[in-house]
Amino acid sequence: MTSISRLIAEPIIRACVLFLFVALVFAVSAVFAGVVVDATTMFSVLQNFAMIGLVALGLGLTVLIGEFDLSVAGMFILGGCVAVIVGSNGPVFGLAVAVLIGIAGGIIQALLMIRLGLNSVAITLGGLLTFTGIAHVLTESKSVLFNDLSVALAMNVPVLGVFSLRSLITIACFLAGGVLITYTRIGRDIVATGSNRHAARVAGVSTSHMLVGVFAVSGALAALSGALLSFGLSAASPTGLSNVMIPAIAAVILGGGSLSGGVGHPIGIAAGVLVLAIVRSGLTVLGVSPSVHEIVTGALLLVVAILDGPALGERLYQFKSMVTLRVGSI
Amino acid sequence: MMPVIEARNISKNFGRFQALRNVSFSAAPGEVHALCGENGAGKSTLVKILTGVLQPDDGQTLIGGEVHGIADTQHAQALKIGYVSQELSIAPHLSVLDNVWLGCRGVPLLHRRNELRERARRALNLVGLAHLSLERRAGTLALGEQQLVEIARMMVRDVAVLFLDEPTATLSDREIECVFSAIRELRRNGKTMIYISHRLGEVMDLCDRVTILRNGENVISTDVADISRGKLVEHMLGRSLSEMYPQAGGMSSVGALEIRGLMVPGKIRGLDFAVPRGKILCLAGQMGSGATEAVRALAGLVHDATGSVVLDGMPLKLGSVHTLLERNMRFVSEDRAGEGLFLNLSVEENFAATQFDVVRRFGLLLPAPVRELAERLADIVTVNPDRLRSRCGDLSGGNQQKIAIGRCITPGSGILLMNEPTRGVDVGARAEIYALMRQLCDQGYAVVMTSTDLEEVVGLADMVLTMYRGARVSLYGRDEISASRILLDITHPLTYENAA
Repeated sequence: MTSISRLIAEPIIRACVLFLFVALVFAVSAVFAGVVVDATTMFSVLQNFAMIGLVALGLGLTVLIGEFDLSVAGMFILGGCVAVIVGSNGPVFGLAVAVLIGIAGGIIQALLMIRLGLNSVAITLGGLLTFTGIAHVLTESKSVLFNDLSVALAMNVPVLGVFSLRSLITIACFLAGGVLITYTRIGRDIVATGSNRHAARVAGVSTSHMLVGVFAVSGALAALSGALLSFGLSAASPTGLSNVMIPAIAAVILGGGSLSGGVGHPIGIAAGVLVLAIVRSGLTVLGVSPSVHEIVTGALLLVVAILDGPALGERLYQFKSMVTLRVGSI
Repeated sequence: MMPVIEARNISKNFGRFQALRNVSFSAAPGEVHALCGENGAGKSTLVKILTGVLQPDDGQTLIGGEVHGIADTQHAQALKIGYVSQELSIAPHLSVLDNVWLGCRGVPLLHRRNELRERARRALNLVGLAHLSLERRAGTLALGEQQLVEIARMMVRDVAVLFLDEPTATLSDREIECVFSAIRELRRNGKTMIYISHRLGEVMDLCDRVTILRNGENVISTDVADISRGKLVEHMLGRSLSEMYPQAGGMSSVGALEIRGLMVPGKIRGLDFAVPRGKILCLAGQMGSGATEAVRALAGLVHDATGSVVLDGMPLKLGSVHTLLERNMRFVSEDRAGEGLFLNLSVEENFAATQFDVVRRFGLLLPAPVRELAERLADIVTVNPDRLRSRCGDLSGGNQQKIAIGRCITPGSGILLMNEPTRGVDVGARAEIYALMRQLCDQGYAVVMTSTDLEEVVGLADMVLTMYRGARVSLYGRDEISASRILLDITHPLTYENAA
């Protein structure tokens, strides 16, 4: 049993297990509800995947290095607003400015953490509120519209049936993240920093560079995600954007990230995001009320958290022998 | 031969404390050079300066005969200087392969796995880890294997100078042999190694030259072949014992605490001893000897400890802190910040923290009785009563230690368990703490303590039990205690017996 939980922790195997689960959901809905997943459903699943995915990827990288970036939700909102406001001079320019702000925000927060020796939760909570506040100031708390509708159309036109520009960019980011973590020295250094920061420093890893880099990427991805969504909707609002924070955290944990650092992989996180998106869309297609969605997602997270628990097999065994003892004594 | 690494007239201060005074050191290519000295002699400060962790206040470092500063650890790596620290530095979630290459500047961004695997394999074979899978997660290795992986890490970096800080402290005999053969192999390849160890047997067996430091100053640098073990010990100690230690009292030797068959898996292999009231028993041993663990086990902090403990003729259950408190057996930890005191609370709250029963009135914790108790204890342990409201963390190490001891003083005498009673305590307060311990003994307390400060052991203890790797070596009474015998016992008793 312990070996099984260890296997589940391997990112690739975990991704496979999660995808199997997804296939099961599809099969069950096809057999019992007669719902066949068509290209339209899959397209909407991937749109959802794109929105949460980039935020979860950035957050997941900060979790992997042993920190926690709460500010992604604020940067997501700020990125969307900045992209739409500045984007009137050209959408690419707007996108670039949004991403640059994301990078700057990440770097500033990381430097504060390193220089002052502070905890990332405290700093990024400040970041979350600050970025959201700036978005409110920039937009005067109203939604801003983007006039060039052709951009929105380009964003949402299906590519190869199920993909869109947004989901393709997201998938590309996940693949790049996977390569970075598995096949480069920087990836190993990030995992080492999350695994045992002191050891990494002693071995010669520049842990502060790694931290700054990861937070810069996290900020950039959150801003990018917000900008892409806002272009897709042709509008941005400091309040109107749906909350991405909780789904992103859920996806990281589903995907095998450990809040104590050193564990997690972009491919696992991608699988986690996809499962969340599919569960959500699947339930909608099945006609289940949205309020039940939260219960299903919550239950799923609980199951995963229990399966991830340390020494699960041992505890189950103890529990079993305890029960047997009780029964035996009766 | 031109020294490959050299330190000239290095001085280093930490505040008012002079860690190094005009120290020089040099090591030639292909030599294993032992760096010896007691705790606090300045060994680690010198090593930190030569590996770029610290900068000297005065003096020069030379690499390959040229004056060359060592800016930081990255710079040291570029200068082909490697360091294996005493504490383990493994990233537990990464594979063995990744740990071997961790932090190496030579690895290309997109690594060529095959070449890296091959070189890592060769380094691991060299340190005797041929059986280990490269893909195994490093966190699942035994401690000794982790230490060997760290040495392999230095080997793939092709270092010219390698500092090894007590690399055998936590290893088994077989693993020590692997480390030794790795060191000999590196020496054949012309590498220089600086070997820091308290185990004199290892120094005599393995090393070519030895440099001894004492109180931050050079004592001697010589070929190992030209010096006897006894002379080595003499140079390390080298000072007469001062008047720091109080006269031993003459309390009756009624048995107070008797321990039989104390065992901790992997740490202590069956330990028997007894302490009468009025005496200070010191368990002396290096790191890994089990001395500290024995005291922690008695304090109920080691969950897998077994053995029989009899206090005043009544058996005592191991592992329950609550029972210990009831029977007046108290523990003073060496780690004051971690498990000794509540540094954020006031001095008086700290005094009262373990004696709520004494200060409680009608089930309530009222300020007046707390203050009364704190004033009484502060008087006994000589802490200035004006500081009772101060934050405990703002006091000096010496005062903190007095509070930690004061907290253990109960109505009726008990047993005091202490690890390193004067760690981080300056000289003046040290003498006061010794006097306090003696005073408590004269009132009927018994003390079981550990110390790695040899001078302290010799000066303070009534009985010394020397330990080596989990077992007792010998037990000395007051008249038989001598620094050189203890040092020989705790460094490498087997080689000692063979030599004798």
